[in-house]
Amino acid sequence: MRYALRHMGLAGAMFAVASPALAAGSPSDPLNSVMWEALRDQYFAGAPVVFDTAVKVTAPAAAEDTRAVPISVDATALGRVVEMVAIADLNPFPLVLRYHPGTAAPYIATRIKIQQATALRGAARTADGVWHVSGVLVDAAGGGCSAPPTSYAQKDWADHVGEVQARLWPADPEGVARLRLRIRHPNDTGLVDGIPAYFVETLQVEAQTPGGSPALARIDSLEPVSENPVYSLDLRPPPDATALVLRGRDNQGGEIRATIPMPPPGSKPAMRPAMSPKPAEQPWSVGQ
Amino acid sequence: MKRLVTSLALAASLIAFSATGVLAADAPSAGPSSDDLLKSATNTEAVLTYGMGPQAQRFSPLTDLNADTVKKLVPVWSFSFGGEKQRGQEAQPIIYDGTIYVTGSYSRLYAVDARTGHKKWEYNHRLPDGIMPCCDVVNRGAAIYKDKIYFATLDARLVALNRETGKVVWNKKLQEYKDGYSNTAAPLIIDGKIITGNSGGEFGVIGMVEARDAETGELVWQRPTIEGNVGTLNGKESTVTGKINASWPGDMYKTGGGATWLGGTYDPETKTLFFGTGNPAPWNSHLRPGDNLYTSSTLAIDPDNGEIKWHYQTTPHDGWDFDGVNEFVSFDLKKDGKVIKAGGKADRNGFFYVIDRTNGKLINASPFVTKITWAKGIDIETGRPIYNDDNRPGAPATADAHDAKGKSVFSAPAFLGAKNWMPMAYNPQTELFYVPANEWGMDIWNEPITYKKGAAYLGAGFTIKPLYDDYIGALRAVDPKTGKIVWEYKNPAPLWGGVLTTAGNLVFTGTPEGYLKAFDAKSGQEVWKFQTGSGVVGSPVTWKMDGEQYVAVVSGWGGAVPLWGGDVAKLVKDINQGGSLWVFKLPKA
Repeated sequence: MRYALRHMGLAGAMFAVASPALAAGSPSDPLNSVMWEALRDQYFAGAPVVFDTAVKVTAPAAAEDTRAVPISVDATALGRVVEMVAIADLNPFPLVLRYHPGTAAPYIATRIKIQQATALRGAARTADGVWHVSGVLVDAAGGGCSAPPTSYAQKDWADHVGEVQARLWPADPEGVARLRLRIRHPNDTGLVDGIPAYFVETLQVEAQTPGGSPALARIDSLEPVSENPVYSLDLRPPPDATALVLRGRDNQGGEIRATIPMPPPGSKPAMRPAMSPKPAEQPWSVGQ
Repeated sequence: MKRLVTSLALAASLIAFSATGVLAADAPSAGPSSDDLLKSATNTEAVLTYGMGPQAQRFSPLTDLNADTVKKLVPVWSFSFGGEKQRGQEAQPIIYDGTIYVTGSYSRLYAVDARTGHKKWEYNHRLPDGIMPCCDVVNRGAAIYKDKIYFATLDARLVALNRETGKVVWNKKLQEYKDGYSNTAAPLIIDGKIITGNSGGEFGVIGMVEARDAETGELVWQRPTIEGNVGTLNGKESTVTGKINASWPGDMYKTGGGATWLGGTYDPETKTLFFGTGNPAPWNSHLRPGDNLYTSSTLAIDPDNGEIKWHYQTTPHDGWDFDGVNEFVSFDLKKDGKVIKAGGKADRNGFFYVIDRTNGKLINASPFVTKITWAKGIDIETGRPIYNDDNRPGAPATADAHDAKGKSVFSAPAFLGAKNWMPMAYNPQTELFYVPANEWGMDIWNEPITYKKGAAYLGAGFTIKPLYDDYIGALRAVDPKTGKIVWEYKNPAPLWGGVLTTAGNLVFTGTPEGYLKAFDAKSGQEVWKFQTGSGVVGSPVTWKMDGEQYVAVVSGWGGAVPLWGGDVAKLVKDINQGGSLWVFKLPKA
C-alpha cells in the first residue's frame, strides 16, 4: 500500500501544478508507465484526458494471487459519470472492463488477472466528455493471465457455468444499494495452450417493477476479469422494485440469467467503502 | 450503421448516371438469401452449401480445369488450423464473397481470405471434458445464410456467428451431450429454417431431425426417426412417427438409435428433405425382432412441418451396424427415353440404390463392392433384401453365463461400410456417380447387453479385416441406369474423403496417403495429384474468382478408421496427423 499511496500523492502534487489539465497537450503519466501513450490513444481515442485523484483506485501494493487481484474504482467524487473503465497497463489484454453506471453511483469493484507487475488504472468519463484517470502500481509475480483456471480440476465444471450467486443490501439514505455478484465461469483468456477464449462479455442489471424493467447498469467485461468473476456495484433501485434481474452472456453465446430478491426488511445497508472480504454473516442468496 | 448510411447515400447520388454494379460493390453484402442457397448448384462464383447445391451432387459446371489443363493446377496458399488439436479434418469449405469458411477438428470455425490465406477470424468452441464423440472429434462443415455462419459442435450445440466478425449471435443446445449426443454434420438451411440431425448412434439415443428458425435459433419442429416417438411442431406435440410397436418389441423404441448423424439433402423440385438414419441400437439384432423402423433408412420429410412423406429402409432389422445415413443425392435418371425424378444412395451395406424420389419406390439396387455376404441381393419388387440368414451374427447365450458371446461370423462389408460418411458426387454430363468405396470385411459376434444412459450400447464385438492385400479403397464410377461399374481407381489405404466432379470431365478426391487426386471422369485415368502433407479426409470444392478456377480441400488424417479399423488401423498408423486448408488455382496465363 505504501507504493500506491506515494504515487497517488505524487499524482496529486502534479495536479496542483498542472491543473487545469484540460489545457492543450496531453498530461504525462504520473505512474510513468511505458504503455500510457499507446493505451491512451487506444482507449480514449482523442477524447480529453486528465489525471484526477478524485477517481480512487484501490488495489493491493503487491498481488498475493495474480489470478484474482482485487481492484475498485470509485468516481463518486466526480458526481455524474457516464462510463468507467479499468485498465491493467502491462496485461496482454490491458482493458479489463467498461462500466456504464446508468443510474448507479460510479463505483465498481472486481477481481482481475494480472500477468506481471503493472500500473492499474481507473478512468471515469463525465458528461462533458472528459476522461478522469487515476491509478496505482501493483507489484506481482508473473503469469496470472496464462495459467489455467483452477475450476478445470473439477470434472463437472461445465455443469455449473453461468450459475449466479448474488446479494443485494438495502439502500442507504441516499438510495444507493450495494449489489455483489459472483458468476461461475472459467473466464478463459485464450492464452492457455489448448483452451479457447471463453469469458463473460456483457452483464446488465434491471429492476423488476410493476411498470416495467428499467435497466440500472451495464458491464462490458473482458478477458482479464478473474475466473468466477465477482462484481460489486452501487445501484439505485427504484423504490417500487420487487427484485433485480441480471441478464448476461459470454463470448460463446452462453446465457446468464438470475433473479435477485430484494433484501429482507430490517437488514442493514452495506458499509462503504466496502471491499471488506467478508461482507456479512448472512448467506448469499442464490438466484437462477 | 454509420458505414451503411454513408454508402447508401453514395449509392443514391450515383444511381442517376451509374451502372448498378457500382451500387452492389459499395453496399455492404446482405449475404446469401434462401433463393441463393436453393440455386447454389449453378453458382460457380461461390460454394454456398454443403454438397455444392441442396441436392448434394457435388458437381461444378466450371470447365477451365479439364483433363488437359489440370496439370497446370498449382497451390496458391495453405492455412494451418493451429494448436495441438490435429485430428481428423473432414470439412467441406464454404466460399462466399472472397472468404472461405471452414471448420476444423474440436469444434473450430475459421474465416480465411480466399485470395491470400489471411485469417479473418477464428472461433474456438469451449468443449466440456465429458464429450462422447464415437468416431473422432471431426466436423464436416458450416452453413451460411444472410449475415450469419452456422456450425454444430461436439457437445451437441448449434452456434450462429456473424460471418464478418466471428462474434457469436446465438448458441443453442441441440441435445444433452452427457447422454451420448454429439453433432458433426453440416447444417442444412431451407427457407429460413436451419435443419440438423444428431449423432450418438452408439449410445442408444433416439435419432432426430430438427428445424429451427435460422434468425433466432428457436425450435420449429422435431421429427424422431424411431416409430412410436412423438414429434413436435411450434412447441406442441405433432404426430407419432410410424406406429408404436409395429416393428419394435416392448420399450426398445425408446432407445432405438437411428441417429441422423450425417445430416441431410434437399430437393427443390419435390420440396423434400432426405435424411438418412443410423443403425438400430443395440447392435445385437436378436434383442429386437422386427424391421426396427425407421432405422437404416432414408426418410423423405416435408420441410414445413417435419412430417414423413415416405421412407425406404435399406437394411431392415440390421445386425451388422449398417447405418442408412449415407447421402441421398437427387438426380434426373434418363432411362428408356424418359426422365425419372430419382435419387441415388451408396449404402454402408454395399448396395447402390436408385429410388424414385417422388414416392420412395426402388428402381434398381446393385452391389458397388466386390463382396457382400449378408444378402444375396435386393428384390426389386418388394424393395427388401434377400438375406443370407447364416451370415447374421448369432444370439449370445442368455442369462448371466460367463463368456456368453454368440456365434461369430465373417461378414462383408465391414461395419465401417462399403461407403461411410464420405460424400459421393454425380456428374449429369457423364451421367455417372463417383463413389468412394472400401473393400473390407469383419468378424462380428453378439454379447449380452443392457442399456445405460450415456454408455456405449453395442452388445457386439468385431474386428475389421481387409479383403485384398493390395488395396482397400476404391473410387468407383457407377452407372445408375445399369448399376454397372464403369471404371475404378484402387487405393492402398481406405478412402475416407468426399468426391467432387466438374463439367471439365474431372473427378477429385483425397487419400489417406496425403494426396488430392484428379481423374478423368470418363476413363478414370489419374491426371493430377498433389501431396498435402497429411491424410485427406475432407471434401474438395471448386469455384471461380477473379477469372480463375480454384480448388480447395482440407488436409488432416483421422476419422473413424484409426479408431475402429482393427487390422486396417495397423496399415494407417504411420500416417502423420495435420490440420490445414489447401487452396489451388489454374493460373490465367
